[in-house]
Amino acid sequence: MAWFTDRHLFCLAVLFYGSATVYSLFLWRKGFRRDDWVNYFLLAAGVALHTGSMFKRGLTLHSCPVNNLYEATTFLLWALGLASLVYGLLPKFKFICAFAAPVLFTVGVFALMPSLDVHGPKPEFSGALRSLHAATILQAYGAFGLAAVAAMMFLAQQHDLKVHKLRALLSFLPSIQRLEVITTRLVIVGFVLLTVGLVAGSQLPRKDGASYFADAKVIWSALLWLVYLEILVAHKFFGRPARRFALGVAIAFVFLLLTFGITNHFSVLHN
Amino acid sequence: MSVVVIGLSHRSAPVELRERFAFPESNIPEALKQLRESGLVTEGVVLSTCNRVEIYAATALAPDDQFFARVKKFFVEHHAYDGELGDELYTFAEPHSLHHLFKVAAGLDSMVIGETEIFGQLKKAYDLAFSHKFTGARLNKAFQRAFNVAKHIRTETNIQRGSVSVMSAAVELAEKIFSSLAEHEVLVIGAGETSEKTARALQSRGVQKITVTNRSPERAQALAAELGAGASTVPFEQWPEVFERIDIAVSSTAATTHILDRAKLEPLMRRRKNRPLLLVDIAVPRDIDPAVSELENVYLYNVDDLKAIADEYLKLRHEELDRCNQIIAEKVAALLTANRYSATDSHR
Repeated sequence: MAWFTDRHLFCLAVLFYGSATVYSLFLWRKGFRRDDWVNYFLLAAGVALHTGSMFKRGLTLHSCPVNNLYEATTFLLWALGLASLVYGLLPKFKFICAFAAPVLFTVGVFALMPSLDVHGPKPEFSGALRSLHAATILQAYGAFGLAAVAAMMFLAQQHDLKVHKLRALLSFLPSIQRLEVITTRLVIVGFVLLTVGLVAGSQLPRKDGASYFADAKVIWSALLWLVYLEILVAHKFFGRPARRFALGVAIAFVFLLLTFGITNHFSVLHN
Repeated sequence: MSVVVIGLSHRSAPVELRERFAFPESNIPEALKQLRESGLVTEGVVLSTCNRVEIYAATALAPDDQFFARVKKFFVEHHAYDGELGDELYTFAEPHSLHHLFKVAAGLDSMVIGETEIFGQLKKAYDLAFSHKFTGARLNKAFQRAFNVAKHIRTETNIQRGSVSVMSAAVELAEKIFSSLAEHEVLVIGAGETSEKTARALQSRGVQKITVTNRSPERAQALAAELGAGASTVPFEQWPEVFERIDIAVSSTAATTHILDRAKLEPLMRRRKNRPLLLVDIAVPRDIDPAVSELENVYLYNVDDLKAIADEYLKLRHEELDRCNQIIAEKVAALLTANRYSATDSHR
């Protein structure tokens, strides 16, 4: 069974995420009318395989598997998938899995690109602080991802209520106020984790002459930090309407996904 | 021994005839006594509501045309009715009688399909007959099975799902916008009957604070008093001032022009820090300018929107009928089989 690597396990997980995506489309077409566990269990199976894949790689590396873009992306997806399962247990939140599945599947397929899983030399610096830095930042991205998923649920439900679609009443989705609260909380959690991760990163040892604040990845992360700060402050203190808040959260996460890999290439500290 | 049904309902007879044949509750035991003494039936239950008057009975006689003619005669004579009767009075023998009983219990034969009030009424009618010992093994079994089937249908199908009235549709909407109605205040503009019904529907789902406003302050105070603790009034000229704290507004005034338009609501929404606001406009002509729905976080529903929701739900309930009838057919067959077995056993 030596040929069966952690990547094979992840590949199986992505297949489950794909099945959950297909089933999500079916649920969407049906207007989320019936209480349904199938999607939840498909996603749970995917997350279980995903966990196995990360565990296997972690055992091989003898450290937290966050050393290249593939590992970072799978860690992010794992945080998103696991959080979806936890939130899915809340009343009327089961369908968060139907909204999360397409994200997990799309990004999962992207993560499987062989060029992302390059094994470079062993990192020069390792230890608890490095693991804390990587894990908290990736968990922050996971929280932002789930916030974006909740925001999409909000936007779908809010649109249906606004244009008087019966689907808004028939669906087993939570009230828009509850979705707004959950989205806000997740953004706050993500923001706190990102802050902790950035502070931990600033304390890591660096090569002589390498500046933390001039690094492309750090600048990008700081920009992201500012974007989420603006989204939160405008909504909480300046009364930005919930629809624009939700739209902001969703767009910010799409920006994160699209630029996450690119900035790594320009980062001295992360290469 | 078999179960039979004779009666009339909203499907077969107009209200004038239904009220003519209605049994006052206090007369039911006497009517059942007379029916049993006639020798036609051994067990009986009388169900008398505003939409139906029916006798469910168990008889040892053959339920043929002659039998039903005698029961009809009893029915007519008991009410001293001397008019003509045609198809208004229907009769059922097994298995149709059981099928009918199960349908009635599940609300499938009601005016509003899937309503639950009939279940309580049927249970009360059965309890009355049971307490006066007018039921026996046959009817006890049939009614118990009918109640179980009704519960089964309620949980296994969508026959009772959704709001089929304008007021309950408004409440359901509120629950899709706000997490818990207990934390939100309601403003009722206009103290008419519809406002009262909507306010009561909201109260039944947890709303605790209601402010009533009306051109005539006396009517506003009367409605607030009707709604009980938690209800207060505000002078009609001052209702925009409470907008900062309320989250749901129900309007049903007799005004001929809009009492709330976009220009008026926009600054109020800013003062509310853009919290979601549900506006239910059940007035005709409309009280609220439809243009306000273009504002962020404003959800406006008028009487037609709510009616459309109620109609759509009713349509969905009708779509569930086939499933319900299938369940009933299976349960009736099971009951008849069980009855046959118990009859065979008693003959051994």
